[in-house]
Amino acid sequence: MAASWRLQRLPSASPGIAFAARAAAIVLALTFAGIVLALTGANPLELGYEVIDASFGSSFGLEDLGVLVIPLILTGLSVAVAQQIGAWNIGAEGQFYAGAFCAAAVGLFLPWPPAVILPLMFVAGIFGGAAWILIPTLARAYGNVNELITTLLLNFVAILLVFYVSTNAWRDRQANSATRRLSAEIPEFWGSIHWGLPIAIIVALAIAALLAFSRWGYEVRLVGSNPSAAKYAGMPVRRHLITVMLLSGAIAGLAGTLEIAGTVHRLQGGISNNYGYLGIMVAVLARSSAVGVIFSAALMAFILNSGIILQTQGLTTSAVLAITGLILFLTAIGDELAHYRLARDKA
Amino acid sequence: MDLLTGLFTTAFLAGGVLALAALGEVLAERVGVVNLGVEGLMALGALTAIATVASFPSPTVGFLAALAVGALFGMLFAFATVILRANQVLCGLALTLMGNGIASTIGRAYSGMPARAVFEGIEVPLLSHIPIFGKAFFSQNILVYLIYIILPVALSIIMFRTRHGLNLRAVGENPAAADAAGIPVGLIRFAYVTAGSALAAGAGAYLTLAFVPSWSDGVVAGRGWIAVALVIFAGYRPIPAVLSGLLFGFITAIGFVGQARGWPVAPAFLSMLPYLGTMAFIIVPVLAWQRMRRIMAAPAAIGMPYYRDVR
Amino acid sequence: MTENATRFSAPPGTPPLVQLKGIAKYFPGVIANENVDLDVMPGEIHALLGENGAGKSTLMNILTGIYQPDAGEIIIDGYGKQFATPVQAIASGIGMVHQHFKLVQAFTVAENIHLGWAETPRRASGPVLEARTAELARKFNLQTRPGARISDLSTGEQQRVEILRVLARQARVLILDEPTAVLTPAEARELFKALRDFVAGGNAVIFISHKLDEVLEISDRISILRGGRKIATENTADCNPRMLAKLMVGRDIVLADMRQRPAGAAPLPAQPVLSLENVSALGDGGGEALHGISLDVRAGEILGVAGVAGNGQRELSQVLTGIRAVSAGRILIDNRPVESSNAAVFAESGIGHIPEDRLHSGLAPALSVTVNAVMREYRKPPVSTGGTYRPAAATALAKEIAAAAEVTIPDFGMPIRNLSGGNQQRLVARREMRIAHKVLIAAYPSRGLDVGAINTMLRYIVELRDAGAGIILISEELEELLNLSDRIAVLYEGRIIDIVDNDATDIDEIGLLMGGRTSVREVA
Repeated sequence: MAASWRLQRLPSASPGIAFAARAAAIVLALTFAGIVLALTGANPLELGYEVIDASFGSSFGLEDLGVLVIPLILTGLSVAVAQQIGAWNIGAEGQFYAGAFCAAAVGLFLPWPPAVILPLMFVAGIFGGAAWILIPTLARAYGNVNELITTLLLNFVAILLVFYVSTNAWRDRQANSATRRLSAEIPEFWGSIHWGLPIAIIVALAIAALLAFSRWGYEVRLVGSNPSAAKYAGMPVRRHLITVMLLSGAIAGLAGTLEIAGTVHRLQGGISNNYGYLGIMVAVLARSSAVGVIFSAALMAFILNSGIILQTQGLTTSAVLAITGLILFLTAIGDELAHYRLARDKA
Repeated sequence: MDLLTGLFTTAFLAGGVLALAALGEVLAERVGVVNLGVEGLMALGALTAIATVASFPSPTVGFLAALAVGALFGMLFAFATVILRANQVLCGLALTLMGNGIASTIGRAYSGMPARAVFEGIEVPLLSHIPIFGKAFFSQNILVYLIYIILPVALSIIMFRTRHGLNLRAVGENPAAADAAGIPVGLIRFAYVTAGSALAAGAGAYLTLAFVPSWSDGVVAGRGWIAVALVIFAGYRPIPAVLSGLLFGFITAIGFVGQARGWPVAPAFLSMLPYLGTMAFIIVPVLAWQRMRRIMAAPAAIGMPYYRDVR
Repeated sequence: MTENATRFSAPPGTPPLVQLKGIAKYFPGVIANENVDLDVMPGEIHALLGENGAGKSTLMNILTGIYQPDAGEIIIDGYGKQFATPVQAIASGIGMVHQHFKLVQAFTVAENIHLGWAETPRRASGPVLEARTAELARKFNLQTRPGARISDLSTGEQQRVEILRVLARQARVLILDEPTAVLTPAEARELFKALRDFVAGGNAVIFISHKLDEVLEISDRISILRGGRKIATENTADCNPRMLAKLMVGRDIVLADMRQRPAGAAPLPAQPVLSLENVSALGDGGGEALHGISLDVRAGEILGVAGVAGNGQRELSQVLTGIRAVSAGRILIDNRPVESSNAAVFAESGIGHIPEDRLHSGLAPALSVTVNAVMREYRKPPVSTGGTYRPAAATALAKEIAAAAEVTIPDFGMPIRNLSGGNQQRLVARREMRIAHKVLIAAYPSRGLDVGAINTMLRYIVELRDAGAGIILISEELEELLNLSDRIAVLYEGRIIDIVDNDATDIDEIGLLMGGRTSVREVA
């Protein structure tokens, strides 16, 4: 009998193949975007060159990238951390806004010197993010209510809240839809990149270390992978679920704090460039690894920045979102296909 | 009197959007597939309707075009999740991102434009003279009958009183059992996910052709997500799903009335009502009554891809 | 012992009802079937014998259209057939009752019977289906409750629903996969009678089992599978247990007397090392799953727990290991009452647990071998000191456990689900043995394993017993229990019906107890 080939599905995909699948997804998506651009009359290669030149060719470009990376690392980390315990935090966007809201409250209304205000803003922002995920967390922990929807619904509420506050109650008299400048700010350390970047990277590395090298991290990983096994081993499943989800919210709140204290310096309607949603993409690309998030955030920042650069060519940030969606779609498919291999008949 | 009539009218209109989207999601989830792309599909449907109507000034054509676009993207989603068996949550989120992104990009040309043709109200003789309710329900456009009467009743009968309905529900509960019984699991999942996506897009069309009626960036405003939540609350059944949509229509209507009448609550907070209400509706019943867990239980195999020839 | 009043005799030259020729099926890294020939004549009960993993279920999944063969032919009534989907197999008269029932838990009996059936009327509301089901039950003489939800039925009742469903589709070949695993001996005898009636009409039965006695009792011919290949087909009348065992395993197996203690072993202590006093516990659904259970085990003793699956075994093993809280009564370890249920505390106290479903409860399939191996000892040095966790020390511990389990692991970082079922079970067993100084709770330890693996598992248990631990062995294999236990407790509907000395009882008495009959020694 002639040897024939068969498709087999393996129980796990090797990390190498999964990585290759992701790379392929990104390349395919960008190629597709290029084709669509070409069809609308633009020259994709030229545009690509322009994007790379603008991003890496000048210090301004690199600064823009650096500033974009900061919130993306943290929102990506927020989603990744929640995934470690098996939860979907789609509410990073809302927790971002909630963190910014609380930090702004401190920065606008407390009459103390900046050296005191700044740390307090951090505390407030972290608290705000955690508070914003509290109800979905409790609902999941005690009622097994799907957190995906509850966290997401609160996004809309947070955005409306910040919108209201920055156009009414806290509005700066001279501005239309923003508050006045906050009384404290995070100092810059390279061009317009502020110390938020090292902070974000350190937080990501700290979480990675915690997950890999602490008893708590071991238990969290087990609870996230199989709660039944965790119960069998006597681990406090519910307590870990609550702690980790609150941590996830806190990290997203920190992202919001860094954004208003370091980059925007005031509270206004659209402070988030969809960072919360892009954070999901960042986490998925990094396979929920806390270290990997740093790199996929850089990639995502590049994609986002390209969208901004190409606005002069008529491209909108919504087009970037669409391409991001396509990358996510192809990544999901690639993740599944990575389990398959062609095997020869054992003749 | 005027207030109540207005309230009911708005409730039926606003609720219709949610009800139609929820019906579509019931179809998908009953066969075991979670479609989180409803929000994106609604955006695509909303835009397609406006764009189509700008060239062919017939709301019916616009609506049908939206259904077609929804079916197309639904097939893409079904291909990935049912045939390739990729992760349903990720594919759904991707669909929402893509749908929103595409709709926003193409929609810039139509931003703020009122729909060139809308679904006009039809006065049903006699019935529309019933005080309040008659004016609110029986003077509405034709889709209202489709959404509130024809579809839920038909789907309910099909799902719970026919042979075909038995088979499709089995697919969502235990695909392995359904497969062993000879039911074409993949085909049924594919078909119903596509149909559900078409309805979701139709809900978007209803938004821009009957409710608002115009297109602007972000016009869907999370209604797709509310619809997904409503399906859980309605226990994955067509008639309760539509009634839940109506309930939400009321909450939205109250918000509008508040704004119009200058209640001392900022509009932003009134706009929050639907989202907060949805959260209350899916959290409170489960925490308050243990029995609700069984009633609101999802089809057992929801969200899980089905592999036949794999150990 | 297989003759009965009416036997079907086929006219000479009748083709086999089912013929499989040269069937092969491969999975990643595994030859599930290779070059298998099988033929089944009308009027025959044909047994398919083999240990777990021999390829019996795979072969039948091919015959019923769930898997596609990688080579070979299927011939029904002399005509070659290809079953691309299960529905085609059903149309050819093949019906299978799987080991894990293919029933929709949330549906009623009537709904399940009518699933995917062309003869179901288009208007299929509850009452209509229930009436038709009652009719069918009458016709095939199988008792069932058409309006009951499957999740509320016992496993024996669920099996009857499966059989009725298959018969209603006019199956001529009935395939049963390990049917008696969920039945008491009395129910099994009823089943055998029903099968005899079925084949008397010219139909055939393929009976899959790994139990020699059963197979000798019920079948006309026996085909033995081993390692995915068919080794032999014999007339049952020409077979005996020793010969069948040898064919199944490929070598002479000598069943050691497991109950024998090493020379000079100390007598059993009077005080139990673990005991339950009038313990009750609630089940997942809220109702009481265990009522007033009292039992104890002493160091160096094996207490067997017999009973049909679903009578509270899962809750019992959870209560014994601190996973489930008790609602009444108390648990004593070394005669000291336990404060409250805490699985970690029980483990620290020296109680190990080989869980019923290792993949679901005892392991995290997606995580690495190392992470899974240290699940019991990660709180202590060297794996963790203070709050830190040291991966290097964890891997070293994992290597020790793998060595003790005699499992070769190419990469300790790979997901543990990549390992075979037998390897996983051995790792879990050795992991638990390391912490089980006082007691080991072993729930269905040999489920799903082949004879070699089962032997290893039982050897481990005996080793642990000789080292001075008490063992509570929960099993559905009566032979295994009689082979190993010093005393046997019988669990029925959440209560301990009786606890008997192994030397003073036999399989028939235990069978009666399993069926709920309280202990009254029958005077013959």
